[in-house]
Amino acid sequence: MKIVVCVKQVPDSDAALAVNADRTWIVDSGINFELNPYDRYALEEALRIKEAGEGEVVAVSLGPARAAQVLKTCLATGADRAIHLKDEAFQGGDPWANAQALAAAIRTVEPDLVLCGFQANDDTLAQTPVLLAEMLGMPHATGAMKIEKTDTGVRVARELEADRREVVDLPLPAVITVQTGINEPRYASIKGIMAAKRKEMKTPGPADLGIDPSQVGAAGSRLRFFDLAVPPKKEGGEVLTGSTEEIAVALVKRIRENTGVL
Amino acid sequence: MAGKILTVVETDAGRVRDYSYELVTLARELAQATGGTACAAVLGDDPVAAATQVAGHGVETVYAVKDPALAAYTADGWVAALKKLIADEGVEFVLFSHTPLGWDAAPRLSAVHGLPALTEVVAVEDGGKVWTRLMFNGKFQVKMSLEGTPAVVTVQKGAFAPCEEQGDGAVREVAAGLEPTALRQKYVETTSEPAEGKVDLASADIIVAGGRSLGSMEKFGIIKELADALGGQVGASRPVTDAGWLPHEHQVGSSGITVKPKLYIASGISGAIQHIVGMKQSGYIVAINKDKEAPIFEVADVCVIGDQFEIVPALTKAILEARGHG
Repeated sequence: MKIVVCVKQVPDSDAALAVNADRTWIVDSGINFELNPYDRYALEEALRIKEAGEGEVVAVSLGPARAAQVLKTCLATGADRAIHLKDEAFQGGDPWANAQALAAAIRTVEPDLVLCGFQANDDTLAQTPVLLAEMLGMPHATGAMKIEKTDTGVRVARELEADRREVVDLPLPAVITVQTGINEPRYASIKGIMAAKRKEMKTPGPADLGIDPSQVGAAGSRLRFFDLAVPPKKEGGEVLTGSTEEIAVALVKRIRENTGVL
Repeated sequence: MAGKILTVVETDAGRVRDYSYELVTLARELAQATGGTACAAVLGDDPVAAATQVAGHGVETVYAVKDPALAAYTADGWVAALKKLIADEGVEFVLFSHTPLGWDAAPRLSAVHGLPALTEVVAVEDGGKVWTRLMFNGKFQVKMSLEGTPAVVTVQKGAFAPCEEQGDGAVREVAAGLEPTALRQKYVETTSEPAEGKVDLASADIIVAGGRSLGSMEKFGIIKELADALGGQVGASRPVTDAGWLPHEHQVGSSGITVKPKLYIASGISGAIQHIVGMKQSGYIVAINKDKEAPIFEVADVCVIGDQFEIVPALTKAILEARGHG
């Protein structure tokens, strides 16, 4: 089975973030980045499916030059090759424009399965994979907690609320987004890191993929983001101060007066 | 001409989901601002009874979209049926809740119209031209606008108050006209994860919840001890259950359980939106966190900025003393 895994480089979850000058995104200099945590589970799932049979795992990422780092991580962890959409024309897009670019790159691979993280930890829009599925003409399923190969395709258990699962059969090729907790992602080994240096990383531009630059990046976007700001603080609660013991006593008093459970 | 604003209603065993009524509130707000009309759609093999429940909630028309292939949710079934309804009825806005159904169907429905979706919005202004959502785990909010119609929107649960009963809308049965062979996803079944213990967070009066910052399953013990002292249940944020420190049935949040205890104590939980959505309706919220900027403090009644490994055991001791066990 040939599997594409879409991955994104996102700011480290502990990074101190600031709003950029035109208030459309964060300042992305001087902070650390990481592989989107959801995507680690998608990569692991792809590697497990490959290892259960045979095939190839191709990691694809759209992002600036620095995003090569997350593709290196994928290659070191076991992906066979990578495609990095780093051309300037691809950058600054909305989910629609990003899905257009990813779709063009993925068509060159002709995969049986496309796996993505359920959402990216930075914008948490949770829609690019589904748009991608429509562009590729593939069925989709979101929030997978289990993926099993069947005779006709795959059986996916989608996570519902309150610990329920919706089980659905899909023909292949298909696009599936993966929830955290579906597996235990592995880490790259020293051997894997060495091997990654010899693996292919392509960087096609719009012309190589046969797409018009006006269809991707900022030019191809239909959703505009603006006025990024710290949300207005809600009227927060009372802040308790004092020694640990004083705070504990004050908490007991508040709980007793306000809840009726003590 | 102003178009229709369509709420996509979700049901559970024939009962309309509470959060679908939150969408109706937004639909009515948009109808007022745009001069359009608030409508709703219930999809199913037998949707009329649920459609009738919605009709008494301030919508002009509830479309009961009926088809044997809509007996259970599939993305292709929902998208095909709604695409037809949008074209037939002149729909300008389509509202979904940001739920496993909403985030699965909405982007596909927008995509078949050549557009992205507006996902997990919390507010709207300017007659549906400007939408607000949160990003970066709630640290920032951003506004967005979409070029083109229909605008397909998913709305964060709890962002709008549920609408009251009012008016007397019409229920209109419409055929979805689906071609079953064209539906690629085949629904198999809905399963429940076997409960590993006797945990019923949804009806608990007291919940003490811990986050990833506790560091390990062993250190999570201070949360359990406090819950025991209070006679309450143990809750957790998603990273805790993903890491296997606790079974998934303890997870509070949008992908876990929505809780409403009299007392909710959150220790070392920064307050990602996904968690806050699941607990913000608790009666009284105590938050303990070392980061004074943690979003959890915005929904807390009492805030303690400090080290949970000192505060929590001290609170456990004080509770036991107050209850006369000390």
